[in-house]
Amino acid sequence: MCVTSSGTLKMAESKEEVDVLVMRVVKDITNAFKRNPNIDEIGVIPCPGARYNRSPIVLVENKLGVESWCVKFLLPYVHNKLLLYRQRKHWLDRETLVDITCTLLLLNPDFTTAWNVRKELLQCGVLNLEKDLYLGKLALTKFPKSPETWIHRRWVLQQILHQFSAVARSRKQHHQGEVEQADAERSQQLSDYLARTLHQEMKVCSDAACRYPSNYNAWSHRIWVLQHMAKGNAKVFHDELSSMRLWVSMHVSDHSGFHYRQFLFKELITELSQTPACTTTSSSKHQSNTVPSSSSHHHNHGQANGELSGAEAAGGEERWLRFTKILQLFHQEMELCSDLIQSFPGHETLWSHRRHIFYLWHHLRREHQQHCSSNGSVESVHFNNSDPCLPEVGAQSCAGQGVSVNGQKHINEPMEVDAASLPDPHDSKRLKRGIMLPAPPALLSEHNFVSSILDTCANPEQRRFAMAYKKWLDTVIGQQP
Amino acid sequence: QGTQVKDVIIKPDAPSTLLLDKHADYIAAYGNKKDEYEYTLSEYLRMSGIYWGLTVMDLMGQLPRMNRQEIIDFIKACQHECGGFSASIGHDPHLLYTLSAVQILCLYDNVDAIDVDKVVEYVKGLQQEDGSFAGDKWGEIDTRFSFCAVATLALLGKMDMINVDKAVEFVLSCMNFDGGFGCRPGSESHAGQIYCCTGFLSLTGQLHQVNADLLGWWLCERQLPSGGLNGRPEKLPDVCYSWWVLASLKIIGRIHWIDKAKLRTFILACQDEETGGFADRPGDMVDPFHTLFGVAGLSLLGDEQIKPVNPVLCMPEDVLQRISLQPDLLN
Ligand SMILES: [Zn+2]
Repeated sequence: MCVTSSGTLKMAESKEEVDVLVMRVVKDITNAFKRNPNIDEIGVIPCPGARYNRSPIVLVENKLGVESWCVKFLLPYVHNKLLLYRQRKHWLDRETLVDITCTLLLLNPDFTTAWNVRKELLQCGVLNLEKDLYLGKLALTKFPKSPETWIHRRWVLQQILHQFSAVARSRKQHHQGEVEQADAERSQQLSDYLARTLHQEMKVCSDAACRYPSNYNAWSHRIWVLQHMAKGNAKVFHDELSSMRLWVSMHVSDHSGFHYRQFLFKELITELSQTPACTTTSSSKHQSNTVPSSSSHHHNHGQANGELSGAEAAGGEERWLRFTKILQLFHQEMELCSDLIQSFPGHETLWSHRRHIFYLWHHLRREHQQHCSSNGSVESVHFNNSDPCLPEVGAQSCAGQGVSVNGQKHINEPMEVDAASLPDPHDSKRLKRGIMLPAPPALLSEHNFVSSILDTCANPEQRRFAMAYKKWLDTVIGQQP
Repeated sequence: QGTQVKDVIIKPDAPSTLLLDKHADYIAAYGNKKDEYEYTLSEYLRMSGIYWGLTVMDLMGQLPRMNRQEIIDFIKACQHECGGFSASIGHDPHLLYTLSAVQILCLYDNVDAIDVDKVVEYVKGLQQEDGSFAGDKWGEIDTRFSFCAVATLALLGKMDMINVDKAVEFVLSCMNFDGGFGCRPGSESHAGQIYCCTGFLSLTGQLHQVNADLLGWWLCERQLPSGGLNGRPEKLPDVCYSWWVLASLKIIGRIHWIDKAKLRTFILACQDEETGGFADRPGDMVDPFHTLFGVAGLSLLGDEQIKPVNPVLCMPEDVLQRISLQPDLLN
């Protein structure tokens, strides 16, 4: 390729000559992408000077390299060229704009104006949205934090979402006959496309998170993507939570990764604590929007629940399942957290995670209590009288966990509900299916956990974090009702 | 078994006195010696770069050493049709650089040099229905931009031009369980974002909405054994985060909760005795950004060789007195 560019770039005499040579290097980059559409990483190859007869653009397998000597010429040159165009002092055709913004952004991805030029090209259809997601992905392989690259991605994704909702709207307008058939297909294609895009975004975020620890921009982008592209899709949140389990276990210092897990956790808990839409029973009014189902306290207090209508029974069943699921999630999360704290002493991130999960539980409980007290029904009153309603479950479980802190893991296993105390037919049905009630967090078990760390661990950091957690429990949690 | 806590060790021969003259020389010479490549790489934030340099010079009482007319002409050339400012000539306008431009003009007591009404119109136009602010016409949302918007308007005395209640509502929706704030609802707490959000609430008179004890707690936990502060758990200490955390603590009236002497030692150790200027950490390369936040941090810690700095706007207090702007602080 550019036979003379490398050798003579430095000594090129006239401005015109430099222009020709630099633009050849820009073209080399464009052509590299044409030759290999699967380039997956970019980098600068340390190289003090030009080598005769060779392009400074090197393609090795799927890696695109730029020799370091040429970056110093290339970047200022194309940078100024774009700025002159922006000031309408110099005309550039669209193809050149595409090529030089690509070069510029791979070398300096925080050059906001270059991304904006591409937004304009996208708007007039010169570029396509996927190509820009791809360019951003490549830039992130070398600059995993680059705020402007993440910002541009969100803009591109917004465009994709707009297209999607435009199609969905037009689909609603005509809904008859053959049109409907064609529309259904198109709609299916679009949702497949959206699902693929979502998946790809998650991958881009993971890669960037692995390249730079506690990558705020990558993780907050991931949250944005879920909020905008997977709203209300519990399956996606579930899958993310499962896949994050291994990731956080391998990145115990990554506060941003853990925050993402907390975000997923909170979303799932919130979703579960909302009563399903089919609230047809008369009693549903005071039961909506709360976590603990009334069934749970019947378990704990061994009270039969009179005569439920069929619908009420079904609603109760659903609530019970949700409540169990919530307890299970909290139980598993605290267990994971304990394991990690014990296996990797001295990580502030893990202790901060513990605070967050415990706080969520505490908050949920309080919300429920407030909800109960603002309600006049017999059942609610009973809830209040049996104060604390949910802690009742906690009180039982913390006895178990109190032992477990000495390392006897088996105690942490879900406890079985005492069948003798459950005369309610619906409840015994549950029991036959073997439903267990997992242990949720409790203040006492947390204190026991801290004591066990202080008793057994000599690591000064671990002790410092354990003490801070204890103080946090006493002041932040302890001062709240 | 376990890992070392992420921190730096301050060497016994690290600088321990403030080298003000060196820093002034470093900033004064900064514009001249840069090579084209370096200049290009950072041109996208030039306007903020100028604000950092001028502010630290003013805090050191050295503002007259900078070329006032050249800078004001540059700023004028960066104002666009829409009223917003770009980082440099030929770049696109953005709230970040609009605030920097207005801050510089306040330092020079020369806001009249630009079309103020157009600036206000620009800022106002970026407010969204939910009260948040986009950084520019392309729509990115971030609590940083909420801060830029109200700070710009406060400096221009035009706060009433936006829907303040809605703006406050959005910022509060970004508050987390630890008392901190992130860039958007649901995002992780981050010292830089906390600075923006507490600064925002100060300028809008809403600091009572902060859980000062809880947030103060989190902020104090940023102090590491070296005395330096980090911006999030398990990150290294950094002079710029030391400023953001310290300024936030000052705003919420909890600055006495950290070990000031140790922080001072850390900041002083980040100076370069030869070149002047401050780096992010001891021994690293210096830059104007960390030089401003190093000097401003020492000012907040009470160093009397430096002018008092305002924690909300990171500008000399005398400049704000001139325009009668006194952002709230908790006590
Ligand atoms: Zn820094």
